[in-house]
Amino acid sequence: MSGFVPTYRRRPSPLHAARAGVATAFCAALCLVAVVHDSPLVLGAALGGTVAAAAAAGVASELGRAARLVVPLALLLVAVNALTSREGETLLIRGGELLGWRLDVTLEAVAYGAVAALRVTVLMMALALFTAVVDPDDTLRLFRRVSYRSALTAALATRLVPVLARDAARMGEAARCRPVPPARAGAARAALRSALDRSVDVAAALELRGYAGARRPAVDRRPWSRHDVRVALAAGVLALAAVLAAAAGVSEFDAYPELALSVGAGEIALAAALVALPLVPFTGASARLGVARAH
Amino acid sequence: MHIETGSDAVLRAERFSYSYPGAAPPALADVSLSIASGELCVVCGASGSGKSTLVRAACGLVPHFHGGEASGELTVGGLDVRDHGPSDLAAVCGTLLQDPEAQVVMSGVRAEIALPLEHRGEPAAAVARGVEEVALALGVGDLLDRRAETLSGGELQRVALAAALVTRPRLLLLDEPTSQLDPVAADELVSLLRRLNEDWGTAVLIAEHRLERCLPAVDRVIALADGRVACDGTPDEFLAWASREGGTGEALLPPVARLFSLAGLTPLPSSVKGARSALASARIEPPPEAAPPPDRPPARRFPLARHRPRRPPAALAFHGVWHELRDGPAILRGVDLAVAPGERVALMGRNGAGKSTLLRHARGLLAPTRGEVERAGEVALLLQSPGDYLIHDDCLEEAGARGLASAGLDGRETTDPRDLSGGERQRLALEVVLGGGENHAAAGRLAPAAVCLDEPTRGMDPARKRALACRLDRLAAEGAAVVVATHDTGFAAELADRVVLMGQGVVIADGPAAEVLGGGWHFATDVARVLGGAGGALTPEHGARLLERELVA
Repeated sequence: MSGFVPTYRRRPSPLHAARAGVATAFCAALCLVAVVHDSPLVLGAALGGTVAAAAAAGVASELGRAARLVVPLALLLVAVNALTSREGETLLIRGGELLGWRLDVTLEAVAYGAVAALRVTVLMMALALFTAVVDPDDTLRLFRRVSYRSALTAALATRLVPVLARDAARMGEAARCRPVPPARAGAARAALRSALDRSVDVAAALELRGYAGARRPAVDRRPWSRHDVRVALAAGVLALAAVLAAAAGVSEFDAYPELALSVGAGEIALAAALVALPLVPFTGASARLGVARAH
Repeated sequence: MHIETGSDAVLRAERFSYSYPGAAPPALADVSLSIASGELCVVCGASGSGKSTLVRAACGLVPHFHGGEASGELTVGGLDVRDHGPSDLAAVCGTLLQDPEAQVVMSGVRAEIALPLEHRGEPAAAVARGVEEVALALGVGDLLDRRAETLSGGELQRVALAAALVTRPRLLLLDEPTSQLDPVAADELVSLLRRLNEDWGTAVLIAEHRLERCLPAVDRVIALADGRVACDGTPDEFLAWASREGGTGEALLPPVARLFSLAGLTPLPSSVKGARSALASARIEPPPEAAPPPDRPPARRFPLARHRPRRPPAALAFHGVWHELRDGPAILRGVDLAVAPGERVALMGRNGAGKSTLLRHARGLLAPTRGEVERAGEVALLLQSPGDYLIHDDCLEEAGARGLASAGLDGRETTDPRDLSGGERQRLALEVVLGGGENHAAAGRLAPAAVCLDEPTRGMDPARKRALACRLDRLAAEGAAVVVATHDTGFAAELADRVVLMGQGVVIADGPAAEVLGGGWHFATDVARVLGGAGGALTPEHGARLLERELVA
């Protein structure tokens, strides 16, 4: 499972350099687009913007790992909706009857499922981008003032995923070293016990670091860097554009009873903005990291 | 909560006893001792003597985390451990446990070191300053921006130490901190502890059974036996006690002290330097070309592997084995090595030299990218974590009655394998990979042609190491080739006929143990360092015979 989960690694990119709150807002703005818009054109543009930002931040391969999970899930969504929906007027396939349920497939049901799948894809890719570019320790710091224990649990889970994956690999090797391989159930039980033991050890370490007596942390008042400003600006404009366009009725899409998709200047402008805005933090000389400005 | 700051004793125990839940004999019984500010103490004892429990009691994990019953009094910085849990005691003492992987809870090094300060609600500036200062003081400044999963065991341990020290505790507690580290990382850690004790006056209490590393650095040694304080004194007093005591006491002697004790020389030295100087002042200097001690067979000479003609009846042979990563460097580069039936080989080399990879190829867990591995039969392989092999609820189910008898675990049939000590787990896991002590002929299978072990002595006390060496000797006598990857020069000297030294994926030396371990800078036993490799003596027993001969002469 860990092969599908993107992991954070510090890289020289404006998105990595931005403070956790701002980078989180950037990813949240991409999620917002997927929540408030239905048009496949707009959702496709949001997906393009997300992938472009990931490529610019050097984490395209991390999104690729997430895609190995997301794409089959999206295809499943399309298939399930196509087979279970009874709406739509354009019949593509006349199926038989199974347990009293007609298995006709309509164009509208396929399109509706595809848009839902696209929405899920945008949301999961934006979350994958968040996982790959925001330091989990900074995320913990960000949320600990709200709910310290929940935030710490999330941060610990992030830390423990690679540790448990290594433990599992080791146990797999040990099983192959036994003269008679162990039964699956026994091996699974041993793996579970090992994970629990590991959790107990980590809990002990946390206690020794003063976890039980943890106080509400002080506010971190760091000055804003140029990357913070640019990423925040991109996130703000992205969110504003998404909300205003939705309020103005841009990007309307209806699947039933017949497909109705509006593609006008508004939709095209919004789609262009959704691809371009996520790249704003990466453009211009000031986006380069570690390069002094020429005076 | 009132923390004493003026008192001289930072830890004080008065008739303190503790029993784990459901355990009949107490892990600690009537322990009375006191540790003053600025003292550097080591707690030693055989496996199960109560060392770790004492450390866990001092940091509050016992009884608050593990449960059980405690009586008597144990105060740390004036806080009674029965009334104050680990979080309260964290204000007074920093703690470092055995497993580096389980002690780092955050994903990044900077966040890990900052965590204890943030728990105390320190302002951001104070946290940043604390992290910078402790990181620079402990030499982990260049690790601050690294992720935990990219650190080696030694680096993780230093980061955990920095997190334990960032609040400037008065007492630092360490539970076998070097047991999972290679010798270089372990030496670095001990030097670091000495320095922080000298520079900052932090009292340090280390639970450790590899005394050779700590003894020259400590002010005081506390020996535990069956949960009771058996000796509490300076290193010299401890050595005199251990020599007098015999049995368990003698087993605690570091190799150089054991060398002198067996040769009848006094006083016993605590370091290689002390031993050399004592021999020099007594004018006992065996010449380097001295004949081997009487009971040691003359060294067989093995030329470098690539020049050696192939010996047909090898139990295990590597022919030009390469292991090249798809997106990384080559781990093995054309290794040629043959091990004969009954031969005992120690595979040595620094971390990353390719030892563990070679053993995985021996068993067939990995396939060579080039070259070939030839096996005369099954290869039993025990990797570094014996706990991974133990998947059943009781020992009998794991290894069968014969296996338990071979492991010396008779009477532990119904014990959960997870409740065994590290050494016991190692022995049980060895029996598991050997087929549970089964009668191979009756089961229609051949006995393993080769038995390979990867770092089997980590965290083992000297008595357990000797027991393991005996078991491996028996396997070799039955005809199995024994190959052990180890950093432990003492164990290699005790076990091996032949030592193969690896570096950067190739065999860089291959010869009799006396030759390889007698003349090296790093890969040499303490006894060889004291005697300058004279007579090929590597172990205290052989060295003592050599010294006795010199004394007679």
